[in-house]
Amino acid sequence: MATSYVEYRELTKRFGSTQILHGINLQIEESEFVVLVGPSGCGKSTLLRMTAGLETINSGEISIADRVVNRVRAKDRGIAMVFQSYALYPHMTVADNLSFGLKMNKTPLERITKSIASAASILKLSQLLKRLPAQLSGGQRQRVAMGRALVREPEVFLFDEPLSNLDAKLRVGMRAEIKALHQRLKTTTIYVTHDQIEAMTMADRVVVMNDGRIEQVGAPLEIYDRPENLFVADFLGSPAMNLLSGKVVHNDGRMDFELENGIQLPLPDNSALRSDQQIIYGIRPEHVAFTDDDNGLPVNLTLVEPAGWETHLHADLSGISLRLLSVERVGARPGDSARLAVDTSKLHLFDPTTGRRI
Amino acid sequence: MPSLTKTSNNSTTARERIADLALATVPYLMVIPGLIFVVGVLGYAVFGGFVLSVHATDMFLNKTFVGLQNYISVFNDPRFQASLLRTIVFVVLSITLGIVMSMVFALTLYHVGFARRFFRGMSLVPYFVSGIAAAVMFRFVFTTSGGFVNYVLQQIGLPTAAWLGDPYLAFMVAVLANCWFMVPFATLILLGGLQTVDRDIYDAATIDGASGIQMFFQITIPMIKPMLGVSLIWVSYISFSTFDIIFALTAGGPQRATEVVSMYMYRIAFLQLDFGQGAVLMVVLLSFNTVMSLFYLYYFVLADRRLEKEASP
Repeated sequence: MATSYVEYRELTKRFGSTQILHGINLQIEESEFVVLVGPSGCGKSTLLRMTAGLETINSGEISIADRVVNRVRAKDRGIAMVFQSYALYPHMTVADNLSFGLKMNKTPLERITKSIASAASILKLSQLLKRLPAQLSGGQRQRVAMGRALVREPEVFLFDEPLSNLDAKLRVGMRAEIKALHQRLKTTTIYVTHDQIEAMTMADRVVVMNDGRIEQVGAPLEIYDRPENLFVADFLGSPAMNLLSGKVVHNDGRMDFELENGIQLPLPDNSALRSDQQIIYGIRPEHVAFTDDDNGLPVNLTLVEPAGWETHLHADLSGISLRLLSVERVGARPGDSARLAVDTSKLHLFDPTTGRRI
Repeated sequence: MPSLTKTSNNSTTARERIADLALATVPYLMVIPGLIFVVGVLGYAVFGGFVLSVHATDMFLNKTFVGLQNYISVFNDPRFQASLLRTIVFVVLSITLGIVMSMVFALTLYHVGFARRFFRGMSLVPYFVSGIAAAVMFRFVFTTSGGFVNYVLQQIGLPTAAWLGDPYLAFMVAVLANCWFMVPFATLILLGGLQTVDRDIYDAATIDGASGIQMFFQITIPMIKPMLGVSLIWVSYISFSTFDIIFALTAGGPQRATEVVSMYMYRIAFLQLDFGQGAVLMVVLLSFNTVMSLFYLYYFVLADRRLEKEASP
C-alpha cells in the first residue's frame, strides 16, 4: 500500500479565463493533519472543494486511498466536509442534521441511531439532539457540523475555515477540540485556513499557498525557521518578519549588510554572497533585542503595544521601520531612543529578483 | 465609579427626556397618516359592504333593512352555487398550475448565469400588462379561426379546436390566462426565497448524497416555506378575485362555463343593480380570501421551524 493517502497530480482549475490553480502536486499521508494556508484567493478552498467533488477538475488527477476520484461523485469519495458557515439544515433538528446523510444512503435505522449516539457523546451534543440550529450557540453549531462529518465515518475529513465565524476565545477552544479529535480518530484531515496561528498549532504539515501555487510544504516550525522564499517569510509569523532591502559590503575582510540609508547591519559568513550583491535581509521581530552595547543600532521607538504576555514595538532606524517583539515587560515609551542588536544566527537572506532564500 | 454612574443618572435633564421620547415616538407618528388612509378607505368599504349586505336597495339607493334575507337568496340561487363551485375549481387549478410554473421559472432563473439580469427583468413583463390587455391577447391566440394556436395545430397536421367556444376548453384557457398574469410576481417571490438559501447547504447535501429531487423536497421547499406561503397568498387571492381577465376573455361564457363568483357579483350588482346581494358576494369573496390567507400564514410563515428560538436548556 502506498503511503500517500490523498494525492494531487498536476491539478489545474480555471474559472472562465482566470487560472485558479496552476498544476498542484502534493502527497498527503494516511492519518496526517495537513493545513492549507494562504491569503484570500490563493486557491486553497478551491483545492478543498475539488477534493470534495464540489468543483470540477480541468486537468490533473486527485486520488483518495489509491483510487482516482476525478469522476467519482462527492458522496462516494469517502470524504466529509465541515463548512465555514456550518451549512446546517436550519429546518431540521440536530439529530436530523446528523442523520440526513445516513438516511440518504439508506443506512439501517439501528445503525443510524448508534452512529448518532456515538457522535453526540464524542462531541457533547447528547442534550441538544432535539434542538434546531437556531437554538444553538456558534460553538454548538460548529460541533453539530463536525458531528455530521463524523457520522459519515469518512476516510478523509475536509475542513473549510471552520473556525472563522467564532469569537476569539471559542476559536482557541475549538482548535484544541479538533486537534484532540484528530488524535483520537487518526482520520486523514485536510484543513483550510487563512489564520497562520491555526496552521502552526494544528498541522502535522503546513502547505503554504499563494496565487494558485504551493509555495512551501513542511512541518510548522520547519517552515517558520526556514522559509524558502519571501512570500512564506512574510506570510508566516505575527508580527511579520522585518524584510530590509540593501546590499552586501566588505569591511576589513568582514561582510556587512548596508541599508539604503547607509546604516550597516552585521552579516554572518556566507560564501554565497559577494560584494555589492543586492539582497533582502530578513529578521524576525523576536530576534531583534535591546542592547547596552554602544555599537548597537541607534533607533527611536515609535510605537509600544503591550499585549500582556509580550510587547510589540515599532522602531525607526533613520527612516527605516523595524518591528521588535519582547517577552520581557518593556518600560520604554514612544519617542525614547534605544540601541538594538540583531541575532545574526537567525537571519533569513533572500534574492530580491527571484524571491528565493540564499 | 458608583458616584460617576449616579451623577450621569441625575444629569438627565428634562430636555434630554423629551428628546428621547421624541426619538421613540416619531416613527409611529410618521406611520399614522398612512395607517389612517388605509384603514379609512378599506374599513369604510368593508364596513359599508357589510351594512349594504343586510339591506335591500332600490335604484335610488334607498335602503331597507332585511336582515339575512340577501344571504338566503344568494345562497339558494343555483346560479350562485354553480359559480362558487366553478370558482373553487378555478382557484385550485390556478394555484396548482401557477405555483408549479412559478417554481419551475424561479428555479430556472436561479440557475441562469448568462444575461441573468436581462432574463429576470423579462420574466416580469407579463405582470406589467394589464389583465384586460392580457385577456385580449389570449383571445387573439385562442380564436377559433385565425388564432395562433389553431394555426400552429393546422400547420403540423393536428385537429383544431373551438378554444373559446367549448365550455371546458374556455375554462382551461381562462385558467391559463390567469396564470400568465399572476405567475411572474409569484416567480419573483420564490426566486427571492431561493436566493436566501446558503449555497453551502446544497454542497453539504451533495456530500450527504441527496439527489436533485431529494434536495428539492427536503432542503429547498422547507427552506423557502415562508416565501412559498407569501406566493400562495398572492396566487389564491388573484385567482379568487379575478375579474378583468375573464370579463375580457369570455365574459363568463360560453354557457356560463367561466362565470366565477366575481363575474356573478358583477352581474348581480351592476347589471341587475341589486347592491344588497352584490354586497353579500363581496362578503363571500372577502371571507374566502381571509380564511385562505390566514391558513397560509399559519402553516407556511408562522410555523416556519427556523424561527423557533431558545427553549428551556
